[in-house]
Amino acid sequence: MTAHDMAPDNSKRRHRHEGKQKHIIAFIFSIVLTLIAFVTVASVGEVNPTFTVILLLVMAVLQVVIQMSYWMHMKDKGHVLPIVFMIGGVIIAFTAIVMSVYWVWW
Amino acid sequence: MSAPAHHVDDQWPHEPEKATLEGRNKVIGFWLFLGGEAVLFGTLFATFLALRNQIGDGPSAAELFKLPMIATVTAILLVSSLTSVFAIQAMHRKEVKAMLNWLIVTVILGFCFLGMEIYEFVEYVHEGHTFTTSAFSSSFYTLVGFHGAHVAFGVAWISILIAQVRKKGLNLVTAPKVYVSAIYWHFIDVVWVFIFTVVYLMGKVG
Repeated sequence: MTAHDMAPDNSKRRHRHEGKQKHIIAFIFSIVLTLIAFVTVASVGEVNPTFTVILLLVMAVLQVVIQMSYWMHMKDKGHVLPIVFMIGGVIIAFTAIVMSVYWVWW
Repeated sequence: MSAPAHHVDDQWPHEPEKATLEGRNKVIGFWLFLGGEAVLFGTLFATFLALRNQIGDGPSAAELFKLPMIATVTAILLVSSLTSVFAIQAMHRKEVKAMLNWLIVTVILGFCFLGMEIYEFVEYVHEGHTFTTSAFSSSFYTLVGFHGAHVAFGVAWISILIAQVRKKGLNLVTAPKVYVSAIYWHFIDVVWVFIFTVVYLMGKVG
């Protein structure tokens, strides 16, 4: 490192890597969505439960999509099979959830 | 054009985890496993959603859960997910020391999460919320405990990987392992997003 400190030339030859920035932005989005969820429950949770639950689920899905796209790299190219596997898993999981809620509550 | 001293750096591919067939297979196979994990947690969520109001003689979710505690463990897991992203970015640049440090931070945060979860469960048991108290308590401990077991497994796994990279170095064999463990860790965080939403926050709402 010390013997070859030729920064400009070196940086040109190396691969281009993504910076920390977009991951920190994803992190800030996650924090904000989490905060919205907690504050909503603490403030209007008992006044308007239906609205709160819908908002909570929207916040959760948004946060999961952001984390999977950026942190799990699912938005990068070459991720067709991972998306197929995950959507397949989610469809089966969602079916199980809808079925058991329907069974018990209707 | 390329000085011999930089030979190793130039050999390090853009995505070392996918530079070999074995690495690519490992990543694809792991995604298939995560699809199965999504089904596993989905069915546990289904059970919990069906049974969450059957509290019998035990305390209800709204009585048990404390928001500051849940917010703290959520923050811990969220930060640990970010530090494991930083570990993978360091791995892509072949900065072994930085990668190991970020992994160590991730493991420490994982231990903090586990410690708080154990404390939380002990407190619930003292308040009369044991595994066999009600259908709600059984499905709660199964779902959240299963997630906790995944965190414990991840902590052990990443710790072993840290030891292995220290011993064998970062190369095209060890890089896919580190990458896959980070994907696993993010998945654990993603599951936690649904747990704090569906179990804790919706439990508070009623």
